[in-house]
Order: sequence, then structure tokens, then C-alpha cells
Amino acid sequence: MENYFIGIAVLICSAIISLFFKNQSTKLKCVSIGAILAACATVSAATKALIVGNQECILHLGSIFQNVRFVLDNLSAFFVIFISIMSTLAIIYSNGYLTPYINKGKDVSAHCIFLAMLMASMLLVVTCQNALLFLIIWELMSLSSFFLVIFEHEKKEVINSGIKYLVYMHVSVIFIILFFVLLSTNAMSLDFMTFKEAIKDNANLANLIFIFGFIGFGIKAGFVPFHNWLPDAHPQAPSHVSAMMSGVMIKTGIYGILRTIQFTSIPKIAVIYAILILTAITALYGIAYATVQKDIKKMLAYSSIENIGIIGIGISIYMLATYFNHPIMALLGLCGSLVHILNHSIFKELLFLSAGSVYVKTHTKDMEVLGGLIKKMPMTALCFIIGGIAICALPPFNGFVSEFLIYLSFIKALAIDNFGVFIAILFAFSALALVGTMAILCFTKTISITFLGLERSEKAQSIETDNPKSMLIPMGLLGSACFVIGLFPQYIFQYALKPASVLIENPQAGETIAFLSSVSKYILILVGLILVITIVKKLISKTPQIYSTWGCGYNKLTSKVQYSAASYVSPFSSILKPLFKRNTDVRKAKGLFPKEAHYEAEFDDIEEVYVINPIIKLDEKFLSKFEKIQNGDIQQYIRVGLIFLAIALIAALILG
Amino acid sequence: MTEEMLMKILNILFLLVIPFLMTGIIRKTKAFFGGRKGASVFQPLYDFIKLMKKTSTFSNTTTWIFRFSPLVGLACTIFACLFIPIVGGTTIINIQGGLIIFAYALGLSKFISLLAAMETASSFEGMGASREACFTTIIEPAFFIVIASIMAMCKIYTFDSLALVIQNAGSIGYLIIIFAVLALLIMLLTEGCRVPVDDPATHLELTMIHEVMILDNCSSELALISWSAYMKMFLLASLISNLILPSSLGLGASIAAFLLMMFVISVLVGTIESGIARLRMSHVFEFVFVMSSFALVIASLVAVKMYGV
Repeated sequence: MENYFIGIAVLICSAIISLFFKNQSTKLKCVSIGAILAACATVSAATKALIVGNQECILHLGSIFQNVRFVLDNLSAFFVIFISIMSTLAIIYSNGYLTPYINKGKDVSAHCIFLAMLMASMLLVVTCQNALLFLIIWELMSLSSFFLVIFEHEKKEVINSGIKYLVYMHVSVIFIILFFVLLSTNAMSLDFMTFKEAIKDNANLANLIFIFGFIGFGIKAGFVPFHNWLPDAHPQAPSHVSAMMSGVMIKTGIYGILRTIQFTSIPKIAVIYAILILTAITALYGIAYATVQKDIKKMLAYSSIENIGIIGIGISIYMLATYFNHPIMALLGLCGSLVHILNHSIFKELLFLSAGSVYVKTHTKDMEVLGGLIKKMPMTALCFIIGGIAICALPPFNGFVSEFLIYLSFIKALAIDNFGVFIAILFAFSALALVGTMAILCFTKTISITFLGLERSEKAQSIETDNPKSMLIPMGLLGSACFVIGLFPQYIFQYALKPASVLIENPQAGETIAFLSSVSKYILILVGLILVITIVKKLISKTPQIYSTWGCGYNKLTSKVQYSAASYVSPFSSILKPLFKRNTDVRKAKGLFPKEAHYEAEFDDIEEVYVINPIIKLDEKFLSKFEKIQNGDIQQYIRVGLIFLAIALIAALILG
Repeated sequence: MTEEMLMKILNILFLLVIPFLMTGIIRKTKAFFGGRKGASVFQPLYDFIKLMKKTSTFSNTTTWIFRFSPLVGLACTIFACLFIPIVGGTTIINIQGGLIIFAYALGLSKFISLLAAMETASSFEGMGASREACFTTIIEPAFFIVIASIMAMCKIYTFDSLALVIQNAGSIGYLIIIFAVLALLIMLLTEGCRVPVDDPATHLELTMIHEVMILDNCSSELALISWSAYMKMFLLASLISNLILPSSLGLGASIAAFLLMMFVISVLVGTIESGIARLRMSHVFEFVFVMSSFALVIASLVAVKMYGV
């Protein structure tokens, strides 16, 4: 446990020391070194906790806080390990990513401090076991990420999405406060340890607390219908920040939900079904919107929603299995979602970093003007393709492992003789299959429009070289992690068993581990087959000829005849027409010799258009009634203040 | 044990050779209905050998993905075949969740072939890729519902001996088999790129799906791609035949029955192709969606059987 606090102290110190450097890039280097050291220390502490057992530290902070306990139990240690590693990689990447900004004279001191603060608060939030301090650190995490999002604050849309994010986070905090108030008033204590005992006899209260917890933490995680901040905040933030937020920070929401289950144990069956359906819809909704986006980072943000949905499906299967007392299915569902938390943080960070790598070179996130980048940025393209295959859950990469575990839990669930379970499982089964195939559509689109074919604009043509090593090395590490985990699923499953043991007593996993080792052999067979066929082909084939693409006899291909992103998904988006609100900007070609024509389509989120915006409008209408009081006139404020004081005095006199 | 080993070896042999013959038989059937004599049923195999000998030509817009794609496609298809029952209901690798590995291995081959098609920067190939990707999106969930509901009813979670249990389930079992066969037949026509979804013999790029995706492949690449496409059709056909055939036949009888089924399915596909025209592109979706409704019918039949709802 000392190592853990030393790590966090080093991180904060490095942020403070970075202020004393004059050179902007040295500041970033300082924080990066701090992050690396902190990661080593915290990972060693967490590993110790995983091997030896819970590590605990009690601070006596006085009356309001009571005793504050920081605990590294198996669940916390699991989260600490990947938070440290993933955040550190993103911070290292920022060295290269921010160089162009620094060259333009941008000051990054504040950014450095908030990077360190975000990492530190994420690390603390998963170990803190005191409700009040948890809320403070939670708020610190939201605030520091808010300041990271508005890095390019001179742009209006960045500020707008930043504020939207902040508002969402505060709605989330309201529910989390309610959650903790209910828990701690019942337990008469702020300590997490006492919560479970206090509410174990009151099923209705536990249910209510669970729902508050799910909504509060669900907003952070991004479940539909609380997802709307993600597709706004992620694209506007710098790429390493999006990577940290999407890869790591939203998982703290999942951590919160897992702790909620630990406190309240599983809710009523109706709630479980509702959550299963909600999470499946989250996955479908996320990927459907991801498919039609043309902004790479917005697409990735929606795809995060999809993956949070898949994680949620795993958790709801765990709850369902616990309800029906089916331990192996519970274990598979929970481990599936825990492994998916880890996997998603790896490949989503990889994808965001690769997208950022494209953005640095081309200054655009719109894939419709890109193309052909694989020839100029081969490493970035390779990383993005690996991430794409992994996120579509295709073997031999890591996404397959976690989805396979969740599918296995479905197959186990088919054995439960219950009509409701049968229907729910069929729904989840087909939803996950649909999500998988839609992900294939979505990522083949993104990869091929961004990286393959011919360049669609000068922006794409002007690139000469790939990015510096400080950006490519973190990406390479993440990419190889995807591959290694995909090849040896049994080890990652064993690793996920540790945190699962917090929620499942004595998990019986021997059979599953043996089974996964055999799956690992089969995946090796697949890789072997590919290798053998490649080698044989190489040996028998002659030197190939190079010629232009078939164009019905015309051999001067231009990028204008290429399929665009919108046309690639148009058969699909026409099937799901009612789900999308299409905004088109069309200027038709006019006259005998038309010079210009223009077509642009955007897909708005229907939840935003039909739910969120009307609420905001109502809210504005209501609040505008108070304009008379708050009109910016100081005399008016003094007058109001005086009247209030007078009323208060009179009330005190009468009542006193 | 020895018989099982023999079956497995036979499976692999069949897997590598029969796909060519099936395509040959389909073409022969079409020739018969067209009043022609038609090429030998071994013609696809001869074509394969001929193409393997030629020098490859690649487009100058392409990179390693395009060259790698046919190889990955072939590897994935062979790999997927290991997880489904072929002759006499024997599956080479018989595990729980084989269904998932099977579907996702095919997914990988699809993923890389879509990338390869888009890499040529040709509008034709983009068109093909876009359609193919969209059809898969509809097909896959329906396939999962079919298999999952049958598994739920039989309480058997591998492909092996599924058929036997459904056949013992009485009249509802037969009804389920009929719908499952119809659903899988639609999947076969779609994934195997046959009429009425796609016409492999057409000469107009605009109306093609799979054929246009591989427009820029030639020589050994084309040979490998066609081989994997034939194999994909074969593996769906063998799923169908394993639903219909009783699995308690002897060794010789089950081989003969399997070969007969393959022949019947090929002739059936050939007859469908001769009998009806390719659907208009907008109607293809409707056709493919029929599979989803069959899948839902199967799910409700299973619910009726199990819970008497």
C-alpha cells in the first residue's frame, strides 16, 4: 500500500515540478516520467494486493470524514493496474501529439497538471472506501477531465461540448449523492464496509439504491439514454485525452456499478430484465450511430457506447445467473464483462491514438476527405486495422475473447428452464450478433475510407512521413497487447477471476480455464493456417505485375469515382431510416455548364433531438421567468439582498 | 475411435474436394435447363488448377491487404469448417461455443475481403462491398437465433447430434426442421452468392454483389477466393444435410446419404437459378429478411414446445 501512495505522490510532485520548467515540451516530459514512475509503483502495489490479499490503509481525517479507508482489494487492484498502464501510455503519446501545438506557441502547463490530476484521481477513486471522500475525488476526476476536454478552448464548439459534459457529470453526481445518502444514513457510517450489512434486510430500499447507483454511474459510463455527452466531448478533446476518457475514465462508472452490486446485492428480477434490455439497446444504438458517422472520433465515441453496452450485457447476465443460482453462467458473464473492460480500454485507446495520429498530420477528423493513408503512414494504418479487427471481436485478437465468454454465458443460460430467460437470452444473443456484424460494417468503412484507396483531398496528399516514435511506440505496445491476449485467453481469464471473486464467492473456474486453453489452441491453429497458406503461396507464386484498377477500360482512376463513407453505409442506413434524423445540405448543379454541386449529410442523434433538446427548451422557458431578478444590474442585486435580509430578520424575530 | 478418426479424415477430404464438384453440378443443372450440354462437373477444378499457374496482377492502388486477403479468406473458411458437422454428423472440433468460433472466423474472412475490395479504389468494388456487408448484418443474427433456439430445446450445446434430438421431438420437431432448412437455404443462397440474391454468371458489374467485390483479383488470388466461396456454400449445405439426415446410419450409409444430399442441394440450387430471375436490388433485402422471420418462427415454436405458451 505504501508503494501505491508513493506512486500517487510522485505523480502529483511531477505535475508541480513541471511548472518550474520554462520549455513547454520539458513540462510534458516531466509529467510523463512522473506517470511512468507512478505506474510502476501503483502496479507493483496492486500486483502485491492481487497475490497476497487485500491491502488497507486508514487515515484519520477528523469529524466530517470519520475514518477514511483506502483499500486495494482484488476489484480495486484490477482497475488500478489498467488505469495506470493505459493513462501512462496516453500521457507518453501526448508528447508527440502536442508538439505541433507547442510549436505554435500554445501553453501546456495547465494541461500537464490536469493530466496528472486525472490519472491520480482515477487511481484514488477506485480505492477510496469512504463515501464523502469518494464524492470529492469523483468530482475532481470530472473537473480535471473537463479542463482537458477544453484544451482548444478558443473554439466555440469545444467550449459548448465541454459545458455539456460538465452538466451531464453533475446530473450524474446528483444521483450518486442520493445513492450514498441513502446508504450512509442507513448504515450510520460513511465507510463502504458497513453498507452491505445495513440494507441487507430491506429489499425495496436496496432496489431503490441500486437504481440510483445504476443511473448515477451509468451516466459516467455512457449507457443509453444517458450517453449524449460522449459523442460530443470525445471528438473535441485532444486524442490522448479522448483515449484516457474513453479507454479508462468511463470504466470508473462500471467500477461504481460493480460496487453498487456489492452493496445492494442483485436487484429484483424485473430490474435485471430491464437492465439487460437497456444494455442490449445501448450496444445496438451505439453501433448503429457509429456506422453512419463521418467524423472518425465521433464514430469511436459511439463505438465506446456500444462496448459499454456489451460490458453491461455481461453484468446483467451475471445478475440473472445469480438470481437463478447458476454459478458457472454468473462467472462467465462477470468475467466476460471484466475482460471486456480491459480489452476495450486497450483497443479503444489504440484506435483513438491512431485517429489522433491521423489528425496531427491532416488536421481533419472528417474521413470523407482522407484516403490512401496506408502508404504514407503504414504503422498508424496497421495499428488502426488491428484495433478495428479487435473491436469487431474477430479472432485472433483480444475482443474475441471477451465476447466469446459472454456468448458462452448465453449458451449456459439456455439450460435454465424459464420462459422469461429464454426470450431474454435469445434477444441478447441476436443483439450481440447484430452488434458484431454492424461493427464489421462500421470499421471496414472507417478503415477503408480513411486509410485505403486513393487520397480524396490535398490534405491527404500532402503527408510525407509517419508520426514520431513517442506516438508510435504506445500504439505498437497496445497493438501487440491485443494480439497476445487474443492468442492466450486462458491467462486473461485467470486474471479476471481475481476481481470476480469480490462478487462471486469461491468461483469454480477450473473447467473454464481448461476449456479456454483448448480454445487458445484452436486460435493458434487459425494463425498457423494463415501462416502456412501465406508461406506456400509465397513459394509458388511468381513476381506479380502491377497494373491500374479495372475501370471499364478507362485506366486513369481518380479519387472522385471512389465509394464514399456515406454511400458505403447507405444500404444499411436506409434500412434503419426511422432511427436517424438526417440533416442534409444539398446544392444542386445548375445551368448548362454547372461549376459546383454540393451534398452533405449529417446524422443527428434522435435522443438529442427529441428528448434532450425539448428538455433544455422547457428549462430555458422556465428559467427565463427569473430574468427580472438576475439581470446583471448590481443595484438590483443589492435591493434583492436587502429584501431577503429584512424577511429573514422579521422571520427570526417572529419565530425566535 | 478408429471409425471416428476415419470420419474426420474423410471430413477434411470432402471439405477440400466436394465444393468444386457442387459448383460443377450446379452449372451442369443450369446447362440442362438451358438446353445445353454444359461443361464437365470437374470444370471448376480444372479452372482452379489453370488459374493457380498464372502470374498475379495487382492494382497500383493496393497494398499488402489486397494480397493477404485471399489467403486469410481461405484459412478462415477452412478453419470455420472444422467446427461444423460434415459426414455422418461428425464434427472435427466438437466444443461448446463452436457456433461462435465458426461465425466469427467467417467474420474475419469477410472483414478482410471487404477491406481488399475497398482498397482498389474502384466504385464497382465499393458497391459490392457495401451490399455484401449489409446482407451479412441481416443474416447473422437470424442464424444465431435459429441455432440458439434449437440448442435451447435440445439441451445440447454443440452441433453434434442436434439433429437426432429434434427428430425425436415429434411433430413440432419436424416443423422446426422444415423452417430451419428453409432459413439455412436462404442463407446459403445469400452467402454463396446465388440467384435470386446475386447472379454469378452476369456480365454487368452494377448488378453483382460478391462477383464485383473480387473484380480486380486474377490468377491464383481469384482461384483461392473462388475456392473459399465454394467451400462456404458447401459448409452451409452440410449444415442443412445434417439437420435432415438421421445420424444413426452406419459408416457406408452415412457417406452415401451425405453425398446424395450434397447432390440434391446442388441440383436444387441449380434449378432455382434456372427457374427464377435475380431479384431487383431493393427486393433482395426483403428476401433476406425472410430468413429473420423464419428464425423468429423457429424461436416461437421452441417456446411452444418447451413452455406450452
